Amino acid sequence: MLLPMMKIQIVGSKEKLDATLRAMQRLGSVQIQDVAAHGQAQVLPKLSLDANALQRRDQINPLVARLGSFAAILPPGIKAPELSRAYEAVSLKSTEELVAEAQRVVGEIGPKSQALALRGDELQAEQASLTRYQATLRKVAPLAAEIPRLAGYETAALLIERRSAAVLDLVRQKLSEIIGDNFELSARHVDEQTTAAIVVFPTEQSARVNALFGRENITPLRLPQELAGASLTDTLATMAQRLAEIPRDIARVEDELRQLAASWGSSVTVLRAALSDRSAQMEIVGMAGGTRYTFVLVGWMPRRDLGDLKEALQRQAGLEVLVGEIKVGREEMKQVPVALANLPPVRPFEFLVALVALPRYGALDPTPLMALFMPLFFGLILGDIAHGLLLLLCAVVVLRLCRNQTYRRLAQVMVLCGFWSLLFGFLFGEFLGALGRQLFDLKPLWMERSGATIKSLFAFALALGAAHVLLGFALGIWEALRVKARKVLSERLGKFIALIAVFWLVAVVAGTLPRDLTTPGIATLIVGIALLSIPMGWLGGILGPIETLGLISNVLSYLRLAAIGLSSFYLAEVANRLYGVATNVAVGAIVAGLLHALNLAIGIVSATIQSLRLHYVEFFSKFYESGGAPFRPFKQSGV
Amino acid sequence: MDINTGLLAIGAGLAVGLAALATGWAQGRIGSAGAGALTEKPELFGSILIMLALPETLVILGFAVAAMIILLLKAGG
Repeated sequence: MLLPMMKIQIVGSKEKLDATLRAMQRLGSVQIQDVAAHGQAQVLPKLSLDANALQRRDQINPLVARLGSFAAILPPGIKAPELSRAYEAVSLKSTEELVAEAQRVVGEIGPKSQALALRGDELQAEQASLTRYQATLRKVAPLAAEIPRLAGYETAALLIERRSAAVLDLVRQKLSEIIGDNFELSARHVDEQTTAAIVVFPTEQSARVNALFGRENITPLRLPQELAGASLTDTLATMAQRLAEIPRDIARVEDELRQLAASWGSSVTVLRAALSDRSAQMEIVGMAGGTRYTFVLVGWMPRRDLGDLKEALQRQAGLEVLVGEIKVGREEMKQVPVALANLPPVRPFEFLVALVALPRYGALDPTPLMALFMPLFFGLILGDIAHGLLLLLCAVVVLRLCRNQTYRRLAQVMVLCGFWSLLFGFLFGEFLGALGRQLFDLKPLWMERSGATIKSLFAFALALGAAHVLLGFALGIWEALRVKARKVLSERLGKFIALIAVFWLVAVVAGTLPRDLTTPGIATLIVGIALLSIPMGWLGGILGPIETLGLISNVLSYLRLAAIGLSSFYLAEVANRLYGVATNVAVGAIVAGLLHALNLAIGIVSATIQSLRLHYVEFFSKFYESGGAPFRPFKQSGV
Repeated sequence: MDINTGLLAIGAGLAVGLAALATGWAQGRIGSAGAGALTEKPELFGSILIMLALPETLVILGFAVAAMIILLLKAGG
């Protein structure tokens, strides 16, 4: 459901503005609107920050950025409750005190933490670079061992793709042209893809030889600066030694960072949050209106929080600050921010609704319906005991271990989806396809998803689709009645009647209803088409019947609930039969296991996407009024 | 199995196969445009998902026709 909102105006003595903003930020239940957007700017000048406040803001913003960069390096050393208490204590300080303390902290830890972070980055870069060089040099090393070291001679190592090894003949020929016979080129295939070559030539010819490599687009192996000039064997030994040292150096750096974090991490986090909040308060001042002695703030808030706001303001700012409600006009209804407030089991589905767009304020919130139908559709598609159990298990593990809110919400959705998959698994008698029937004689409680009962499965999917689409139309009709939109009402009512008439006629053709009902069925269809055609004007005669065909395709679209489930069942069957035909039991089990895992992965992804799609395209289009702006209250940034 | 049955089976295969090809072609074009749009406006994910899923109705309708043909075959056979 959508939280009932109200527009408020807060008026008070200017001296109490800071206390008011602090109380509102702490409560976190009001979204401030720019007073100019409210339409009072003509009579009420906007407030602006004085010179001192502007100077403080210019100090705060860079400090927040610097503290943010430290916070990325230094995690807070204490747990969340202690951090909150520390934040409460710090937030009582004046802005000047906060700025001074932040400057002191930045001065104390800035150089050391940055130096440590830089050293850590350098060590990791060196480790990556040396590992790369080591792999390359190992390929060339056997070749280099064959070539004696000569004073006055330089060595260049080349690595060439094996299929292009013929280029070495060209290099040999060009070298002969440039420096005669005074060089040695030795090459060897070092692996399936690479040919290594070593060229030894007089040092005085270095420039000409390197120019030749440049012309022929050959890149000799370049060693790091500090290793240049050493022999390949020495270089490899030095690299191995350095690679053994680097992890110890990295551990030392991390240890020092941990010590720094233990001493300063919490201060950095708390000060950053407190200063961010002060900065946000200053931004809000720019949105307020006022006179010489008073200020006026305009905003939106949930109606249920009004009492709390009045109490908080009275406690912190006294009786010189008043809160009043502003009547919201019809035009302004489009600007009302939207906050969803559903029961805990439904709440995880709110983000799935918001993926398309939030509902417009005053419109119907489809979240509870989505929480009911989406897992049902998912379960009908996946419908397997083993898959349902695995999904439930994974979701429970994520809920236990993960703190990330997005993953937790997804896991909560998947708990319901897993439950329905398990339930449909029992109804269809499926455990990894038909394996359950073979292993422990699992019997379907309702019907098998194969063989003769497949027609019933299709009929069930279509019936579910028809019910879903008709429910969408019923909600749409109710919405149109509520806002007194006659044309929309006529269109939705027409579609609703036409769809019922189509099913009526199908039932007559199938022999479920008596043939005598054909004429009333056709008459109902004509009434429906006529009603839905009215808003289309003269085009209605053509578009009305086309729209009716569209309705049929809307319902047929629900066939996917059966079709995708069937493909999942048959993929499981392929896995089971592969195990049966494999000569080696272990290989058969591995292949079948991999196929079942693939089937589960495809099943989860496609069942989610298809269930969402049926809601977004087939269901929401019948009633959903989107376009609401999210409610963004002015609140503390939090630690 | 007589030739009529074989032809009906081929028809069922074509109904779902050609519809799947058409869906794939349409989804390929929408997907590439959608991926481009997402890099600039990630908030459009939901709308693009809807557009990407729209052509799937084609293959579902193809599947419906194929299923009807197969059921017809079974009823006849």
